[in-house]
Amino acid sequence: MSENESAVYEGAEEFSVPMNPVKAILRLWRIMGRERIRLVIVFVSVIFYTILSVAAPVYSAQIVDLLWRRIREAVENGAQFHVTWEQGGEQIMVLLLIYTVTGILYTFQSFLMAGFAERLSLELRSRIGRKLNRLPLSYFDSHKTGEVLSRATNDLDKMSEVLQTGLLKLFTAVGMVIGSLIMMFRFHAGLTLIFLAFTMLSLVSTRLFAAKTLQYAMRRQQAASRVTAQVEESYSGRTVIKAFNQEENSRKDMREAVEELAETSRKADFLMNAVNPFIRLVNRLGQAVIAVAAGKLLLDGVLSVGVFQAFFQYVYQASEPLTEAAYMINSLQSSIASVERIFELLDEKEIRKDPESPAVVERTEGQVEFKNVCFGYTPEKILMENISFSVKPGEKIAVVGSTGAGKTTLINLLMRFYEVNGGQIRLDGADTSAMTYGGLRENFGMVLQDTWLFDGTVAENIAYGRPDASREEIIAAAKAARADFFIRTLPKGYDTRLSGDAETISAGQRQLLTIARVMLCDPAVLILDEATSSVDTRTEMEISRAMNALMKNRTSFVIAHRLSTIVDADLILVMQDGNIIEKGNHRDLLRMNGAYADLYNSQFA
Amino acid sequence: MKMIFRFLKPYRWLCFFTILVMLLDVAGGLLVPRLTADMINIGVESKNLDYIIGKGIAMLAVTVFSGAGALLGSWLCADLSAKIGRDMRNAVYDKSLTLSAHDFAQFGTGSMITRTLNDINIIQQSVVWCIQMVLPVPAVCVMGVGMAFAIDTVMGFLLIAVTVLIIVLAVLVTRRASEIFGRLQKLLDRMNVVLRENMTGVRVIRAFCKERAEEQRMRKAFEDYADTSISANLLFAGLESAAFFVINICIVSILWIGGDRIGAGYMEIGDITALTEYSIMILFYIIMAQMVIILLPRARVCICRIREVLEKEPEITDGPGMMRGGTTDAQSGSERAEKAVGKETVCFQNVSFRFPDADEYALSGLDFVCRQGQTTAVIGGTGSGKSTIAKLILRFYDVTEGAVRVNGTDVRDISQKELRSHIAYVPQKAWLFSGTIAENLRQGNEQAGEDEMRRVLKTAQADFVSGLSNGLDAHVSQGGTNFSGGQKQRLSIARALMKKADLYIFDDSFSALDFKTDAALRRALKKEVADAAVLIIAQRINTILDADQILVLDEGRIVGCGTHGELMANCPVYREIAQSQMKGGKANV
Repeated sequence: MSENESAVYEGAEEFSVPMNPVKAILRLWRIMGRERIRLVIVFVSVIFYTILSVAAPVYSAQIVDLLWRRIREAVENGAQFHVTWEQGGEQIMVLLLIYTVTGILYTFQSFLMAGFAERLSLELRSRIGRKLNRLPLSYFDSHKTGEVLSRATNDLDKMSEVLQTGLLKLFTAVGMVIGSLIMMFRFHAGLTLIFLAFTMLSLVSTRLFAAKTLQYAMRRQQAASRVTAQVEESYSGRTVIKAFNQEENSRKDMREAVEELAETSRKADFLMNAVNPFIRLVNRLGQAVIAVAAGKLLLDGVLSVGVFQAFFQYVYQASEPLTEAAYMINSLQSSIASVERIFELLDEKEIRKDPESPAVVERTEGQVEFKNVCFGYTPEKILMENISFSVKPGEKIAVVGSTGAGKTTLINLLMRFYEVNGGQIRLDGADTSAMTYGGLRENFGMVLQDTWLFDGTVAENIAYGRPDASREEIIAAAKAARADFFIRTLPKGYDTRLSGDAETISAGQRQLLTIARVMLCDPAVLILDEATSSVDTRTEMEISRAMNALMKNRTSFVIAHRLSTIVDADLILVMQDGNIIEKGNHRDLLRMNGAYADLYNSQFA
Repeated sequence: MKMIFRFLKPYRWLCFFTILVMLLDVAGGLLVPRLTADMINIGVESKNLDYIIGKGIAMLAVTVFSGAGALLGSWLCADLSAKIGRDMRNAVYDKSLTLSAHDFAQFGTGSMITRTLNDINIIQQSVVWCIQMVLPVPAVCVMGVGMAFAIDTVMGFLLIAVTVLIIVLAVLVTRRASEIFGRLQKLLDRMNVVLRENMTGVRVIRAFCKERAEEQRMRKAFEDYADTSISANLLFAGLESAAFFVINICIVSILWIGGDRIGAGYMEIGDITALTEYSIMILFYIIMAQMVIILLPRARVCICRIREVLEKEPEITDGPGMMRGGTTDAQSGSERAEKAVGKETVCFQNVSFRFPDADEYALSGLDFVCRQGQTTAVIGGTGSGKSTIAKLILRFYDVTEGAVRVNGTDVRDISQKELRSHIAYVPQKAWLFSGTIAENLRQGNEQAGEDEMRRVLKTAQADFVSGLSNGLDAHVSQGGTNFSGGQKQRLSIARALMKKADLYIFDDSFSALDFKTDAALRRALKKEVADAAVLIIAQRINTILDADQILVLDEGRIVGCGTHGELMANCPVYREIAQSQMKGGKANV
């Protein structure tokens, strides 16, 4: 039941590239709606913030110079110097004011963005949620659950994170780099060029690092997949390992796989850990060279002490965003790619809308008719051609045939999980395609081969179709489905929580619960798709006895591979390659000595 | 925490060295501003270019030295992380092998996989983060403050004040954040569960017309997650802003008070740069450490989950004795044949079994004997306890009351390894391992040659193997998914037949076979294992019609025992089962 995500390491998935970034961004912009105003305000705030941030060091340089001048004057006069309001204090307070305003702007924009990104995610996530209910079944049959799941979780989280911190950082970084460079050039062009040279060096090495890191991250991913496979296999097959005394061999295999993972991890981790110290090393080397050159200029009187200090502040302000740029662009790209994948999901073709004036069947009798039905999962490849049969209220119809013969397809069409390509299906005379999905489906009760229970208590699961059912009704339904006995053996009885991971109940028991769920709903037409395949024959008989009582005066469709359960059907449809090749009751079909008779004899000879 | 130390212990020197090297990096970071300040202070005053160049070279040296320290530190950290990850995975796996089926089921396969893979990843990462980002913090604070004191006492106190302020701030935020993050993780899990359910259950949801209700359920999960995310974001924005303010006030104070101190001749103008750098560095390290600390509760949960596994006392432990009178390895074939008839291979004495946490007995009062050369069959409904019988013999479970004896020895008195070496088992779920068919068969008998394998495959009606392009070396994918259910079962039977055993257990092993193959297989089996005891657990009457002894199980009790004919005559439950499976309700013998 549980699908286990394999251990995914950072690094490998960080490098996806968007197809059409402008289009995706514009569309995101439209979805933001009224929230856009926030973004505009933040943008304006960022402009002021950047200007102030760039201006602050110049101002502090002036203060240092001022202090330095005053102190020297004081020393020359033999007096002690004190900072007072007149003696530099005013300027220092102005600097504090500049800092405070910068701080307030920063706080303001972070707070605005904190809610903005999450609300946008919520909006998109809800759209995905609604979308899931409007996607045709074919989408779910052709896409992996984990894939779709990661659209709604990982991709959106990535987008939200980038919007929140990445976008702000990008805005400020661009302003900061440009502003700082301008100021630096104004102070001294030569020093600035030294700085740019070292920055280029660290940019180039970052790129090289990134490429190497990706390579090792992928190697680690492979090793991790191997360990995952080994672990899954050993845990799932542990009974066999123990029964055949294979513990030693299995331990050896595991050690090998784990050792390989450790080996590749060590290298990949090292590269990832080392990027930052390495960039820091290059930057610091640059700073040392700049310090010496600036010191020389200081001696020559070209630079003042204040400018010397201010220049260093600009070096810090500009070098950080520049070296981060490579990573920032990566994460921005991959987040736009995430947004594109979300839009791709939202743009998937939807099921037909309910008709405006739907056909309504009141007090369904259960008369079903297939009239010249044609269907193919893709229109080019028609699987069923001209299927026609009709069922009187209260009859039991069995559908038999080998895997892939189209038995489940028939049910999919009846329930309108898939739409017919031609012909009509009628329920009590009404064309089902003219009905609303709800109006149609409330007439059916379905038990499927793969049992679906949700994270909730046993009682909640049984009452899924009728949340208002009383405890007595629930217990009665469980008794009718022969599930009451095992439910009572569970730790908390009907209030035991069923969660996907815990293997509290067996496949057969899960099946009994889904049967109880349908029993509680009391539908006009029953559909049992291999419903009792994981239940033994005797329990199956007991259930079908209960089912028979339920099926009285009710139309029922039964798909079964054990023919013993359907010999009493009013109509047996034998399917092959999507079409009905024989139909009739048990006796007639045996007499025909065709496919059904073959099938029957192979099971009971 | 104790557990982490247990895994770190072998590498304590590596840890020590890693931390030492990381400190080099920190010291380098603090020395560079010092050198810059010196350059300004002395170089400018003395107008001495050589001095400035000298300091410049010292700066380069410090940079290279601390950079090398940082890079070496990265390597050592990666090494340490790889080693503890490896050791933990091996320890967890070794432990898992000693756990009984019930012990293991308490964790669940899915959870065990997560623990072995993802949980250990998180622990590894957290250990590395702690070493890289949390452990240097005290060093940075002490060194930074120390350097400040070296400049001027007043400045030293100023830096202490700033450090304390930031730490108080970080502690406050961390407390709040841990709580929010704990909640966020739960809500994220919830969101995943609900979304997954909506996809896997799409048919059921639509059949019950529950789309609206499901949308609301999803919306609720999404909203809870968004709300909590926003409060987490706000908290961080608040922390960043506060840190911003603290550092700015600190810079301004350094200017004001520093100006004063310079005026009074206690420090030099260049020291202002150095002090500013120190305070920024202290702030940076504390904030980074705080980010790591927020993530630690998650790691603690993982550690607890791993510890649960490692500290689990295996419910089933080996007995000290040896098996008396086993036939498999003690005697030669001819001797075995002589005393073949009638020896008690398996004996259940008044056996009752209840899962430790269940109220009802799964099996109660079982008394029966499987004899050498005879076939014993067990039949009964789902949940009647059939498979449990096999698991008790193999000691995957221990009896609650009574005793199970194999070859006259209580299974609890001997080692599991020895016990299982006398039994060949075909599990209900035919599970094959990835590799080749030959590798799978050799699990039954490591020395088996090709001829032996081919012969056994023939007995198991698995001749299809010779038709495969690689024959015995044909590839098997994980779980055997590249074979059909029936093929898997036959290969799984062949694997068991490779083993020479006193007892062969077939746990519902014929269910995926068609009736003809089933019959052929049973005929061939009769010859193959004629001198051993055979236990067949089945749902299909046809499979067991000619067993020497049939036990009918209903809700954990034996309600009938005898041959097919006897049971048809006097066991109503058996008759019911038979009728449910016979053509047109009539027995077809």
